Amino acid sequence: MVAMTSWTRETAAHLYRRAGFGGTPAEIDALYARGLEGAVSWLVDYESVPIDQYESTLASRGYDLQRTVGLQEWFLDRMAFSPRPLEEKLTYFWNLHWTSGISKVKGETLIYNQNQTERRLAGARFDDLVTAISQDPAMLVWLDNATNRVGRPNENYARELMELFTLGVGNYSQTDVTEVARALTGWTVANYNKATNYNAATFTVRNELHDTGVKTILGQSGNFDGNDAIRIILEHSDANGSVSGRFLGGKLWSYFAGRAADDYVVAELRDVYVSSGRSIRELVRAILLHPEFYEAHTVRTWVRSPVEFAVASIRMLEAQSDFSAPANALAGMGQALFNPSDAKGWDWGAAWLNTGSLFARAALANTLASNRGAAGSRFDASALLAGADASTSAGVVDALASRLNVEDVAGDVREAWIAYLETNDDGSRGSWHDDAASVDEKVRGLVHVMLTGPAFQLA
Amino acid sequence: MTFSRRDFLVRSTGFVTVSAMVPRWAVKGAAAFEESVGAADSGRTLVVLELMGGNDGLNTVVPYADSLYPQLRSRIGIPVGSVLQLDGALGLNPVMTGMKSLWDAGRVAVVTNVGYPNSSLSHFQSRDIWHTADPLLAQRRGWLGRWADGALAGNGNPLSCAAISQNLPRTLLSDHVGVPTFLTLASYRYQTDGAHPADASNQTAAFLAQSAGEYEIDNTPAALSQVGRDAMASSDILQTVGSGYVAMGAYPDNSLGAGLELIAQIIHAGVGARILYVTYGGFDNHAGEDADHDPLLTDVSDSIKAFFDDLDGHGNASDVLLMTWSEFGRRAQDNGSNGTDHGTSAPHFVVGDGVVSGVHGGPPDLAHLDSNGNLAIENDFRSYYGTILSDWLGADADAVLGAQWPNLGFVNRSFSAGSGAARRISRG
Repeated sequence: MVAMTSWTRETAAHLYRRAGFGGTPAEIDALYARGLEGAVSWLVDYESVPIDQYESTLASRGYDLQRTVGLQEWFLDRMAFSPRPLEEKLTYFWNLHWTSGISKVKGETLIYNQNQTERRLAGARFDDLVTAISQDPAMLVWLDNATNRVGRPNENYARELMELFTLGVGNYSQTDVTEVARALTGWTVANYNKATNYNAATFTVRNELHDTGVKTILGQSGNFDGNDAIRIILEHSDANGSVSGRFLGGKLWSYFAGRAADDYVVAELRDVYVSSGRSIRELVRAILLHPEFYEAHTVRTWVRSPVEFAVASIRMLEAQSDFSAPANALAGMGQALFNPSDAKGWDWGAAWLNTGSLFARAALANTLASNRGAAGSRFDASALLAGADASTSAGVVDALASRLNVEDVAGDVREAWIAYLETNDDGSRGSWHDDAASVDEKVRGLVHVMLTGPAFQLA
Repeated sequence: MTFSRRDFLVRSTGFVTVSAMVPRWAVKGAAAFEESVGAADSGRTLVVLELMGGNDGLNTVVPYADSLYPQLRSRIGIPVGSVLQLDGALGLNPVMTGMKSLWDAGRVAVVTNVGYPNSSLSHFQSRDIWHTADPLLAQRRGWLGRWADGALAGNGNPLSCAAISQNLPRTLLSDHVGVPTFLTLASYRYQTDGAHPADASNQTAAFLAQSAGEYEIDNTPAALSQVGRDAMASSDILQTVGSGYVAMGAYPDNSLGAGLELIAQIIHAGVGARILYVTYGGFDNHAGEDADHDPLLTDVSDSIKAFFDDLDGHGNASDVLLMTWSEFGRRAQDNGSNGTDHGTSAPHFVVGDGVVSGVHGGPPDLAHLDSNGNLAIENDFRSYYGTILSDWLGADADAVLGAQWPNLGFVNRSFSAGSGAARRISRG
């Protein structure tokens, strides 16, 4: 693949928004200074970035991992403050891809463990991750494979394994669903019980529940078990080559590039998947180095999810947060993290935004922008103007717009922001005053307005 | 910028079927409302209740007289002697006493064996098919969204349609009609800095100004702008709905009861809502259905009963028809997890004074299952939709559905609100 030559600071900001959750001005400067290939390598080969200090800081924050809201706060903190942006962005991808719901799983520790498995294997061989998730206690409970037994199999996990997780609908038959379900019989959990608040479950294979007969999966026959089924599914090819390669490559492209992949891109990514031994990391590297990833039609096309909206707000404003307000706002914004309503999780893109969810975003933005206290989610309004020409309303608008990466709005929107700064409480047009009282009222107010505008909903 | 809005529609919003889930505000011309096409001045309202996950029809409307039923449902079958009999073949799950009382009052049509052929048994594909009324998935807009584009666009009413839902249901996805979407009204407004209340109108004005702006980057910002404008327009009206409302039905304490109560308030407020949509989830009972399904049906039945009690108490019932749907029914035979896997056809309920009460269609044919062990389709779901479109909404059903589908006759074509009111009074 051809590396793009026109590497600019704006390009680096785009990469930071997509491979992470948006950068501060200093972070964008640093990423830009690495050059394209250096920047992508720093993001993708994230194990080389030290994380111990952050892990101990995170541990000291005392999130209650035995409560759903505590798990949400903990994951939001990681996404906002981990020194490895792409590790969290990929973990979040897997969260969107197949994370199980605490409403059914019940055990918070099982959900925490699943999230850590997704992080540990976020860039691994897809085989390893699919196997780990297929044996993950939360998933075994969530999609009922824990009760899948010989004789009258339960098809729930078998179907979604192929439809949602690896192949896509239309690339298998109902017979394949039944046969994969038979292969997966006996993969279940031990010690899943109320006495331990459902937190102690472990994966186990119960041979007496396994169907030892011959199964036929995607054209192959044998006395298959769960490992065989996963191998056959991931090795499955049709006239267009690897099916899971096209599926995963296309979905990762859609996630990072913010638009569906053209056929030629899907074919390229399929080939990377096959030649790299089904490496997720190499797929992501290929995407972030792809010239089309930097084309104008790829920039600012990704609608931020509620999680990304909250995390980007805090990151890009260099706010401090205990993540209580963002976590509590998630459900109203349409994304009860760790509690999807079904196996598919949430639809992406424009489906995130409707009238009610937009008001919920505005409410969170207002909580952040109007918090002048010493706790909760808060930022230093005057610090946002450091280094800017704050003597004019245009200077203030441009500084805030640049910080929030919304400086590419058209002139009439910029004028509306300037007008807001210059409008008095009684509605009359006055002028901007660079004093503490004006900063406290109008800079905070403008941050709120900008966070709720169309441009900031897009990464 | 060469990337066209058309490209955006086709390519940009995510993955696979999600790419079709582009709200109407993302569409070229969304802001330019068409001329009113009339036919929107009828006072009738359709309430759509989506049962998410695939409701088990066989344990909802039980074929109690069929000896195959207890065999197929050896683990989770409803005791056939306990059903609430509708006729000699079918009976309601015994928890559905509320629905039975509506049935006894002649206000329920049960349409049986509804579905479509050649289902993949996928939740998500089947949902898209039901939302768009198109098994080929070539339609982007929902079936009621297409109707709304013809019947409601340009009427200037930001509350012609509304969804009591976390997400905009694709059924209501249209090109020209905004659909306010909310679960409660308490926070349905643009909140501003409490420390500077005098600046609130300035912040609101700035929000609207940026939502009216032209953007150099194409498509999506304009789309998001439309959501912002729809939100503000509907918020102004909805803030007045419900104040002082006294419910006259005993709504159960669950999200469906709350949603239907909110719908009753919106109907009572007389804001011209024609389509009101509500969802209830949890029906994907692959395991433990014996414990989980009856409570769900209790919620559905009790909520609908409370809803009609409430409408009756306020004199609003005759203008309202409620219909249910779910993406599929479930496998005829229960599985080893005391649950059921994905199936095909199922019965659905149509409730209101405008129905032709009774069972429309035969009992499920348990003796002739397909090769996957699933039920046959007797009534195509487009016939189910078409009957409501033509006989309740007064629409050209063939135009909305793109083909002619047999009318199932479960809506009383000679019914008028006046006669309904008379009936309600005559019932005392």
